[in-house]
Amino acid sequence: MEFEIESPKNITELCKTIKSYRSKSFRFGAGYTDLLMELKKHTPRNLTVINLAQLKDVSFSSIRSTTKNIQIGAMITASKLVTDTRIEQLFPVLQQAAHNLASTQIRQVATLGGNMCTASPSGDLICAAMALQASCEIMNDDKKIHNLSIQDFFIGVRKTALKKNEFLFAINIPRNKKRTATLHSGFIKIGTRKSMECSVVSLAFHLQIDKTGKIIDAGIAIGASAPTVKFAQSACQFLIGKKINSFSEKEKEEFANKVLSYASPISDIRATAWYRKEVLFNISKGVLE
Amino acid sequence: MEITFTLNGKKTICHIKVSTTLLELLRETLNLTGTKPGCHEGECGACTVLINGKSVNSCLYLALNTNGKEITTIEGLTKPNGGLDEVQESMIKNGAVQCGFCTSGMVLNIKALQLETMQNKKVPGSGIKNSPNRNEIKKWLEGNLCRCTGYVKIIDAAEEVFNKGK
Ligand SMILES: Cc1cc2nc3c(=O)[nH]c(=O)nc-3n(C[C@H](O)[C@H](O)[C@H](O)COP(=O)(O)OP(=O)(O)OC[C@H]3O[C@@H](n4cnc5c(N)ncnc54)[C@H](O)[C@@H]3O)c2cc1C
Ligand code: FES
Ligand code: FES
Repeated sequence: MEFEIESPKNITELCKTIKSYRSKSFRFGAGYTDLLMELKKHTPRNLTVINLAQLKDVSFSSIRSTTKNIQIGAMITASKLVTDTRIEQLFPVLQQAAHNLASTQIRQVATLGGNMCTASPSGDLICAAMALQASCEIMNDDKKIHNLSIQDFFIGVRKTALKKNEFLFAINIPRNKKRTATLHSGFIKIGTRKSMECSVVSLAFHLQIDKTGKIIDAGIAIGASAPTVKFAQSACQFLIGKKINSFSEKEKEEFANKVLSYASPISDIRATAWYRKEVLFNISKGVLE
Repeated sequence: MEITFTLNGKKTICHIKVSTTLLELLRETLNLTGTKPGCHEGECGACTVLINGKSVNSCLYLALNTNGKEITTIEGLTKPNGGLDEVQESMIKNGAVQCGFCTSGMVLNIKALQLETMQNKKVPGSGIKNSPNRNEIKKWLEGNLCRCTGYVKIIDAAEEVFNKGK
């Protein structure tokens, strides 16, 4: 493993650094849990790592509440997501996904930005953020920010829409529709063993329910089932307006089949495509039970 | 490049190659071989150290990012008078050490949980609590593999540390 390093101290320096590396080969490093694994296997020649770990800007590593959104900086670690009380109360699905990512030691350093930008089909934080219908704040080397919906951020296996002069600055999660809404929100991860496992399939759900038991908003996302994490739009539409406690067996199956229609899993070392679909069908149904 | 950090309570200055991992720096340059190399991939936890009181895998951590931080390795856990830390005492008392390869990582990760619950009165992911229960201890130690003990005695040892504080 041989590379050069640049450690900008703030965002202005970071943007300058990115500009000066425009025609050279570089990678960002945040918590390094994906990057070092990759570089230990193979490091391209003349690589420079632009180190995000020493940036002092709080905006990049804090969770902030605005009237419409909760903004989470890209440098927030999984362990911060586990312990933040706003995340715990407003978005249990994200807390659970973070709590089940890798191990204590990895959660201390693994960042939201790193999880998003690795763009693994089984990225746990991606799956939760997608169920929460987050949008991505992308910054370029002129310090300009633009927003992209999370579904458009992922364009293929381990591919994001980021251009070479751009980085992920934060994600914005819209607040729940009503303060009084009850949440049915959680993250289900099925692996071949309980801990430290890349998932065979995963499912993130975030349902908002009003006082009468009616579902007023729904977000469902699935991981490890397609080239990217997928938002199960038609399954969400199916739920909105229905009563959470009134689903017949047939409706539960109809819902599960809708979720399944977004899956195009592969057979690999962890599981066959057939098994992944069976599991996904069953855990989807389970969300309504 | 030059980095400055606090290692086991002492200010330390090192000249390193930028791609050096913290694990390599500790074992090969500083001769602190209590930190064990297992998988080099973040799976086994044998290389666990404390950075500002939090447990981290030193095999996936760039040494240069320790600049300005406080590092504690197993060599630095003993008390100033040379006595063992209470986590170490409990591991011995409960027969939780066999070959010992996983032990420094286990001890430091249990220590990290103790620091976390003492400082924040919280067990991460389980709300407000002064001490973790057995299942929460198991969950916390997920990233530490042991090929010898079967874990029961290690978890017993950790549980005893927390029960003592009650
Ligand atoms: C043992 C082990 C177990 C794991 N288990 C899980 C698991 O259960 N679930 C899971 O989802 N993942 C898991 N992972 C993968 C990894 O830990 C996560 O994806 C983590 O969130 C990556 O974050 P990082 O900060 O370490 O990223 P880094 O390694 O620093 O970066 C990852 C990639 O993102 C880019 N990048 C980082 N930040 C930005 C940014 N702000 N803008 C643009 N690009 C950026 C980097 O250039 C790099 O390509 C595991 C990894 C290991 C080693
Ligand atoms: S050597 Fe670091 S986790 Fe195994
Ligand atoms: S005592 Fe041998 S690996 Fe744990």
